[in-house]
Amino acid sequence: MGSHEALSVDPFKRLVKLAARAFYDDITTKGDKQPKTGRSDNRGIAVVVLDALTRRQWVREEDLAKDLKLHSKQLRRTLRFFEEEKLVTRDHRKETAKGAKIYSAAVAATGDGQPGGREGDEKLKLHTHSYCCLDYAQIYDVVRYRLHRMKKKIKDELESKNTVQEYICPNCSKRYTALDALRLISPHDEYFHCESCDGVLVAEADKLAAQELGDGDDNARRRRHEKLKDMLQNMEEQLKPLMDQLGRVKDLTVPEFGSLQAWELQNAAGRAANGDHGNDPSKSSQGFGFGGTPMPYVGETKVEVDFSGIDGKGDIKSENGNGPMKVLPPWMIRQGMKLTEEQRGETKQEAKMAGSLTAVESSDDKKTTDEKDDVKNIQDEYVKAYYAALLKRQHEQEVHDDSKQQTSNATTSNGVTMPTERQIGMKSKRGDEYEGDDVEWDEEPPAGSSAKNFKVHDLNVEAEASDGDEDEDDIDWEEG
Amino acid sequence: MFFHIVLERNMQLHPRHFGRDLRDKLVTKLMKDVEGTCSGRHGFIVAITGIESVGKGLIRDGTGFVTFPVKYQCVVFRPFKGEILEAVVTMVNKMGFFAEAGPVQIFVSNHLIPDDMEFQSGDMANYTTSDGSVKIQKDSEVRLKIIGTRVDATEIFCIGTIKDDFLGVISDPGAAS
Repeated sequence: MGSHEALSVDPFKRLVKLAARAFYDDITTKGDKQPKTGRSDNRGIAVVVLDALTRRQWVREEDLAKDLKLHSKQLRRTLRFFEEEKLVTRDHRKETAKGAKIYSAAVAATGDGQPGGREGDEKLKLHTHSYCCLDYAQIYDVVRYRLHRMKKKIKDELESKNTVQEYICPNCSKRYTALDALRLISPHDEYFHCESCDGVLVAEADKLAAQELGDGDDNARRRRHEKLKDMLQNMEEQLKPLMDQLGRVKDLTVPEFGSLQAWELQNAAGRAANGDHGNDPSKSSQGFGFGGTPMPYVGETKVEVDFSGIDGKGDIKSENGNGPMKVLPPWMIRQGMKLTEEQRGETKQEAKMAGSLTAVESSDDKKTTDEKDDVKNIQDEYVKAYYAALLKRQHEQEVHDDSKQQTSNATTSNGVTMPTERQIGMKSKRGDEYEGDDVEWDEEPPAGSSAKNFKVHDLNVEAEASDGDEDEDDIDWEEG
Repeated sequence: MFFHIVLERNMQLHPRHFGRDLRDKLVTKLMKDVEGTCSGRHGFIVAITGIESVGKGLIRDGTGFVTFPVKYQCVVFRPFKGEILEAVVTMVNKMGFFAEAGPVQIFVSNHLIPDDMEFQSGDMANYTTSDGSVKIQKDSEVRLKIIGTRVDATEIFCIGTIKDDFLGVISDPGAAS
């Protein structure tokens, strides 16, 4: 698995490193007002930062600054530059220390970062944290575009194509472009004349080779041609490794980390599924709700946690048996990979959970009720036959019925929403994490009270013999 | 490129035109005023094709002139960068040549003329290939590509190139005559 990831990521990392050295080697991100002294010369930092980013996925900028022993301001300036260059995606958000912990958890799951040592402070103060990550797909495009522009520019100059000719007055050095041509023609001769001093204008050679202006028109042009050709050749030569790397990377799938939230969820889920969710009670009590900060993804988060929790519980044995095997996030799974069922299944479910919570739940309800109807019909008939044929065993039947009625009561008294509620009841027994979830907390007490009702009332005579099985069916269905 | 668009204009009409054919007079005056003008925004107004609506007239204080807001449909011509045009050469000199495509003047400087064409001065200045098979002189028709435009409020000027595939002379007046 790891080798698979490395196979696709490494060429991209190399691409970034090459591009960094080719284009960003002498970038200085100093403000213009500060004088350039030897001390404040920070050329090369850009390369260092890019290299550091290739070794990470999403990283909090403070942590990165600490790792690089850079001032965070300086780092931020560099990162902002790269953001403008479209090499880096950044994300800023306000969060509490708790929220930051989700990120730490995600980092711990990827195993390539250092978990932030801020477990202790539980301040509810909001800080704006910035995160950054390389955007490999975009980098690929940006580098290609840059090379294309460079080549095109030189080629255009070489063929003096699409360039607006400029004219200069040798007397007063006033400049004109070909767009002024109409005003410059004189009725007397076939040259352009300066508007102010009436001197004869000369065409200015192109900017790239402007320094060698002077001797004869043809000579200058030929020399300029030579120079441009050299330049193009040099470019081809020196950027060859980069272009080769681009070619190599072309057919590979681009490593995709997704947005910060998606990345966190994936990695946090992977971690939970690995079975090390029990060690952090504070996390479960805060319920992944990002410390009460209003987040657009809260719904999603909740669902994700529910399912992965179940999976984690259900799969714990097999996971332990497999040793350190991790659940693969979807971006790592490619065709042709051999995966165990848990890995495949879980990741599928994660993808499904990316959908909305309500959709998932409502489809849940529908299916379970349908199933229930079918089961009911069959059981009705069965029970009738049973009654007719086996009267002598009625006392046994009574006992049997009792237990069935208990469960069927629940369905009728609570209506259609019952299955979900019962699930919740189940969950509260099965997994500790769910207690953290706000919504489901609220629903828990009614489930408990209906459990009492089972014994008191005797409303429904219809038997649902396998209702207990059905509960298990529900769970199985969810897991599949 | 040509466009068919609706424009609006406030027309001032002299009181002597007030009568049965006020509307006709209004349209006639509009055509006289507008056709052939150039606005930087829309380009050259080539022709008015119809009147959309004539609003309520407003009598000017002191003069007796009446202002009518008129909406009219018209064909406009606006050159764009990268557009291919066919144009007639109007003047050739050492710096290049000038050509006209309808109302638009285009300048093609000598370094945007293919390198194998040389300037020949004389009675009829021209650019000629070394074998003499192609000649650009006054009244030649050329196909050119616009590579730059200068759009003023009342004027549009373009520079073009014939240094590209399928550009250059499309009919030689010397051969025809």
